[in-house]
Amino acid sequence: MFGQLIVSGLAVGACYALLAIAMVIIYKSSEVLNFAQGEMAMVSTFVAFMLLDAYHVPFPWAAALTFLFAILLGIFFEIVFLRQAKDPTVIGLIIITLGFEMVLMGFAGWKWGPDQRSFPFPISNIEAYNFYGLIISKINFWTILITLVLMFILFLFFRYTKLGIAMRATQQNQLAARVMGIRTKWILSFTWAISSIVGAVAGMLIAALGILDPPMMMDPLLKGFASAVLGGMTSLPGTAVGGAMLGIIENLFGGYVSLAFKSAVAFIIIILMLCIKPSGLLAKHYVKKV
Amino acid sequence: MDIKRNYYEDIELFKSNTILVWSILFLIFLAFLPWLITTYRPLGLSIYIVNLITIHAIVAIGLNILVGYTGQISMGHAGFFALGAFTAVILIVRWSFPLWIALPIAGFVSSAFGFILGLPALRLKGPYLAIATLGFGMTITTIIKHMEFFGGRMGLQAPKLYLFGTPMKDIHYYYVIMIIAVLMTIGAVKLIKTRVGRAFIAIRDSDIAAEAMGVNLTYYKTLAFAVSAFYTGVAGGLYAFILGFINPESFHLIMSITFLAMVVVGGLGSIMGSIAGAALMTFLDIKLQAIQDIPAIGPALVIFSEKYMSIAGISNVAVIVYGLIMILIVLFEPLGIFGFWIRNKRYWKTWPF
Amino acid sequence: MLKKNLTFIGVLMVMVFLIAAPATAQKVRGVTDTEILVGQWGPQTGPAAPWGAVARGTDLLFKIINEEGGIHGRKFKYYLRDDSYQPAKTKAIAKEFVEQIGVFAVVGGIGVATGMTARDYLMENKVPWYAPITGVYEWISPIQKYLFAQYPLYDDEAFNLTGYLHEKLGYKKIAMFYQNDDYGKQGAQGVERYLLRKKISLVAKVSAEMTDRDLSTHALKLKNSGAEAVIMWTMPTHAALILAESAKIGFKPQWATSNTLSDSALMMQITKGLWAGMINSFALELPDSNLPLMVKYREWHKKLAPQERWGTFYYAGIAFAEPFVEGVRRAGRDLTADNWVKAMETLKDWKGISSPITFTNPMDRQGGKHVFYGKVKPDGNIERLTDWIRITK
Repeated sequence: MFGQLIVSGLAVGACYALLAIAMVIIYKSSEVLNFAQGEMAMVSTFVAFMLLDAYHVPFPWAAALTFLFAILLGIFFEIVFLRQAKDPTVIGLIIITLGFEMVLMGFAGWKWGPDQRSFPFPISNIEAYNFYGLIISKINFWTILITLVLMFILFLFFRYTKLGIAMRATQQNQLAARVMGIRTKWILSFTWAISSIVGAVAGMLIAALGILDPPMMMDPLLKGFASAVLGGMTSLPGTAVGGAMLGIIENLFGGYVSLAFKSAVAFIIIILMLCIKPSGLLAKHYVKKV
Repeated sequence: MDIKRNYYEDIELFKSNTILVWSILFLIFLAFLPWLITTYRPLGLSIYIVNLITIHAIVAIGLNILVGYTGQISMGHAGFFALGAFTAVILIVRWSFPLWIALPIAGFVSSAFGFILGLPALRLKGPYLAIATLGFGMTITTIIKHMEFFGGRMGLQAPKLYLFGTPMKDIHYYYVIMIIAVLMTIGAVKLIKTRVGRAFIAIRDSDIAAEAMGVNLTYYKTLAFAVSAFYTGVAGGLYAFILGFINPESFHLIMSITFLAMVVVGGLGSIMGSIAGAALMTFLDIKLQAIQDIPAIGPALVIFSEKYMSIAGISNVAVIVYGLIMILIVLFEPLGIFGFWIRNKRYWKTWPF
Repeated sequence: MLKKNLTFIGVLMVMVFLIAAPATAQKVRGVTDTEILVGQWGPQTGPAAPWGAVARGTDLLFKIINEEGGIHGRKFKYYLRDDSYQPAKTKAIAKEFVEQIGVFAVVGGIGVATGMTARDYLMENKVPWYAPITGVYEWISPIQKYLFAQYPLYDDEAFNLTGYLHEKLGYKKIAMFYQNDDYGKQGAQGVERYLLRKKISLVAKVSAEMTDRDLSTHALKLKNSGAEAVIMWTMPTHAALILAESAKIGFKPQWATSNTLSDSALMMQITKGLWAGMINSFALELPDSNLPLMVKYREWHKKLAPQERWGTFYYAGIAFAEPFVEGVRRAGRDLTADNWVKAMETLKDWKGISSPITFTNPMDRQGGKHVFYGKVKPDGNIERLTDWIRITK
């Protein structure tokens, strides 16, 4: 049972981690807590569903088109809404993302109706691999694998590509980056595009693990948020570790202590953790200058 | 005329006779509001909706003290709201307390929890505080859900209250709620103007600078949480009685978000703004669904839905409009309704120049 | 600047006036010479929106009756309001129905927490309320004169379903999976009540929160209990999740569930076929039933609302409003709330497209007391196992 709990915890934690990474990418560059992240992912997933179900597009093409849609959605939100805000407060920005979340939620309910659906993912969510008694379902295995691969790609991207370095520069100091000739506004839009793609991957995996309906991202989004905070909000590896930890802790608590408080325990742990180490697990402690 | 000569002049409630006169006129208006509503039904309002708006206004004022004046974010006020509601109902049902004692106790119970939540807030900022408060709100409802003492997941029925032997109706609740709301509004205005309020504002502008100036951060930050929770708790107690039945499931995250939206839309750091924000958001929340009954627009929506969307989800248009209004107000009026008011006041004051 | 502000105010004013509805007044509230006004709330938006289909189904029934010429020269005017499953909104809608629109009656209405905020208010104002769409005790105890319940009681339904599994199918190790709310809890209560009588204990009792989206731990607990049969009292989402998680870890007990999950077309789709083999209790006729009434409704559905899916929730809206309409028919031309109540109390084994309805005992407002059992075939159709069985005394 212990091994089983860890494995499924890791799979769920991988989804949390993806959402958290999507959130952190944005937070680092524009200090926005994106509450619309989950809904952006949900709408992208629905687009994939529509392509697969109504137009019978083969899965790789559908995924590619969905990523394209996710890019456009992210850039759209950044340019049409966020960029228009004149010297916004942190809370004002949160409200904008919450408003956008409602718009997307409403749109999904309007376009696709409230019914639950199953997401036609190429990997079955029923079959499993059996490693010497430890049963790892195919979907869990692939979720963990896809997450790891995606994180590795992101790592390479931020480390070695020109664009990635430009993004990091913008995150560190926008003004200086602009002076160095980086078009920071363009970079900001690009940040949103990348975050939106990562979110879309998370959305598709979560839909494949369970079912697809408009409120499907509510719970994962909060957990993703919690993982991001647990990992320190500014460090991508920290966030990934935070997500995995959260998934495992939740499952162990649910398995051995109390199922009823499984969802709440994540938050209690986080509150306690934050009291001890306010800047999160892996982030460097940072002091604001007056 | 805006020069203050001494401290007492500054903390005066009414800066000038004009404001005093307008305030009195407004109170008279409030006294006759139920009559106005039942006779003319402006905007399709009912006394119940006004009660709900007033309760939300109390919450918004409390939240604004925390968010707008002290600069601490809270996404867990639905938790305090639930605490107030359940405390008030349990006190009255189990130990038959009268309402006027149960309400303050409900307020103090929430405020005790607010104090506890204020402790981690001493070290947390921005997203960390947001997630901590959010977690707090969810934990409170989860605990209430699992304790039979609170009626468990089934919820609790609020007892009928009697006023001089007759069961209280909406109109009686209206006066009770309104009196409490007016008192609490005055309390908030006073609080902000005194030493405590200044300390809050100093913390918002820069907590390190405030500490350097001798503001006790521990004391004032937890106090801000406690005061805010007190307001929310009292409002929660009232909410339980106008609703008649409370269930932990209805105090969810969306409620906390709506409260936050009220404050931001109304205007951060403005008591009057909070009231306006509560009124606008509550009204829209309840009435926007009538969007499909509007002549011309409604049928057009139906045709559009049949062609491009799904007819089953047509009510979601209201959600979209609500979200858009939230975004647009924050985009074009960063100070909210209060900012809109200030701008217009300034414009007309100097008109025609 | 001024222009911008004026446009803003203008837009706001226009919106406000458009939203505001005028008030009307009548002698008998909601009954005119040509019309009967009826209201229903139901979540059309938010997480509970899938159940909103019920309220739209009721709309279809009233349209059908109006097309057929109405009742005693009156046609129904139906008001559907979206409460997003938020109690504060439900109460606002109830007040709107009574004070502003002035409806004759309320039919249906989903949710316990939502309906409970409106119950006392509606009863004080003598508004007939037919069939809240939940099978809990709150509606029938204490007895309310103007409130009639039809939905089979979850408690009794679970009690009998457990009996069927134990006595007819011989399962001894039974586990319970339920969602932690009044629906799930009253179901769990029924299961335990039966097992207590037989002196068997539940091998596992696992609950999930409404918001949970990861049920792997729940499935593991069920598997480790060694249960042969699992009764589940959840919503479609959780049902699909737990079946998938159980299948992953190779746990294949006999599943059984309540009539809330009787939409086997939907369930087969979202569980990717895992739903096959489910033992289900049904409170309504099957969607493809050959009953003349069902055939008629299906034809009207094709004509009047072809874009809606003919799902269980949708035609439940018809099933739970039919007896109300029959009451109006029996009350005659002189329709008042009290006449309607008297007419309802003459219903005895009245059969629409749900179970037989009886209200002849004025001290018993639970009209629907029957379910039947069926087993889901691999193609998604239902193999009917029993005829209507009485579950409530």
